[in-house]
Amino acid sequence: MRLLLTVATLAPATAFAVDYLNVEQAAKLMFPEAERFEARQIDLDAATLQKLDAQGVKARSARWPVLLAKAGSTTLGFVVTDEVIGKYELISYAVGIGSDGTLKSIEVLSYRESHGHEIRLPAWRRQFVGKTAASPLRLGEDIANISGATLSCQHVTDGVRRIVAVLDQARRRGLL
Amino acid sequence: MSAGWQRRARPLLGTLVEVGVPAQGGDDAVAAAFGAVAAVQAAMSRFDPASDVGRFHALSAGQGCTVRPATVSVLLAAAALQRESGGLFDITQGSAPDGWRLEGRTWWRLDATTRVDLGGIAKGFAVDRAVQALRRHGCAGGWVNAGGDLRAFGSAELPLQLRDEVQGGVRHFGCLADGAFATSRLPGGGHVSVAAPRALWADALTKVLAFSGDPGHPLLARLGARGFVH
Repeated sequence: MRLLLTVATLAPATAFAVDYLNVEQAAKLMFPEAERFEARQIDLDAATLQKLDAQGVKARSARWPVLLAKAGSTTLGFVVTDEVIGKYELISYAVGIGSDGTLKSIEVLSYRESHGHEIRLPAWRRQFVGKTAASPLRLGEDIANISGATLSCQHVTDGVRRIVAVLDQARRRGLL
Repeated sequence: MSAGWQRRARPLLGTLVEVGVPAQGGDDAVAAAFGAVAAVQAAMSRFDPASDVGRFHALSAGQGCTVRPATVSVLLAAAALQRESGGLFDITQGSAPDGWRLEGRTWWRLDATTRVDLGGIAKGFAVDRAVQALRRHGCAGGWVNAGGDLRAFGSAELPLQLRDEVQGGVRHFGCLADGAFATSRLPGGGHVSVAAPRALWADALTKVLAFSGDPGHPLLARLGARGFVH
């Protein structure tokens, strides 16, 4: 074990960011057998949005860009990207969904740890409101102080649930 | 740090788990590491009724259930830590410290009030398992970081960043190679961190340090660990 401590631990906090994968890399990892990916946009109508609402899913947007993984004329599955905001962080991630609607995999694309002053901006705040109250926080044993993400994972989990539900509705309604 | 390395991250264990391997490390190694973490989650999550912990909580007092070998490893370590720390480490979090027993692969619930949470040790264990998986796949170096429970091995040197929970952002704390590091927040504010050879010890010893407040606690030295209160 080798541990070297920084002397100036009172150095000012800096923003912290990691880029893991771009969308194309994530899509290829999720569907290695795909020959190409086609961009498509799902437009959810009012009835579909209501249906999602009844399932307890806030669609957040009526427009959903989706990548279709194609081999010949066969659709192998779908890739949807999304972003969630935690207390200090912004996470963008991609979800791979099979042609039968089942969740295949989740890959984090990028992680941004922000300064406190950034997240006090009203726009960030609005999106954060209500997210902690509804979700069963698993904070006690999951405290993460080092380049980690205590709250954000719950947001990713919520986001994945939303994407799976939206794709399911889109499939049922022949939008894909 | 990132030159020469490839990094991937997935949401697991209720947090973000990052795996770093050499740029030519290969997707198989990364997949195996995430698979190892997912297996620990499946065995020990207290939110999953099918996990060993979920099944334990469904038992009546005096009943036992057979648990997975990985759970046996964690429970053996938990029992040893509880004994050696004079009860400071306690997976029942005070609900019933003597309310469970492990015999072979059978986990007995001795008291109906026993509630177990392996969150204070299983994350570190998962990191150790993921590091093993990377090594088995021939990685000469790399790291695994489960939301702050992290371990580096081989040629990887990991900068340690502490989140500033008041202002946001992160502060540089130090650099770690060939070892593990974990941090816990104290209920009254402030943090404790432990560096140790294995992530399981680092993770568990943050609780011993948090409750004892003593970086010189003999158990830390015995396990080759160093503690920090900050």
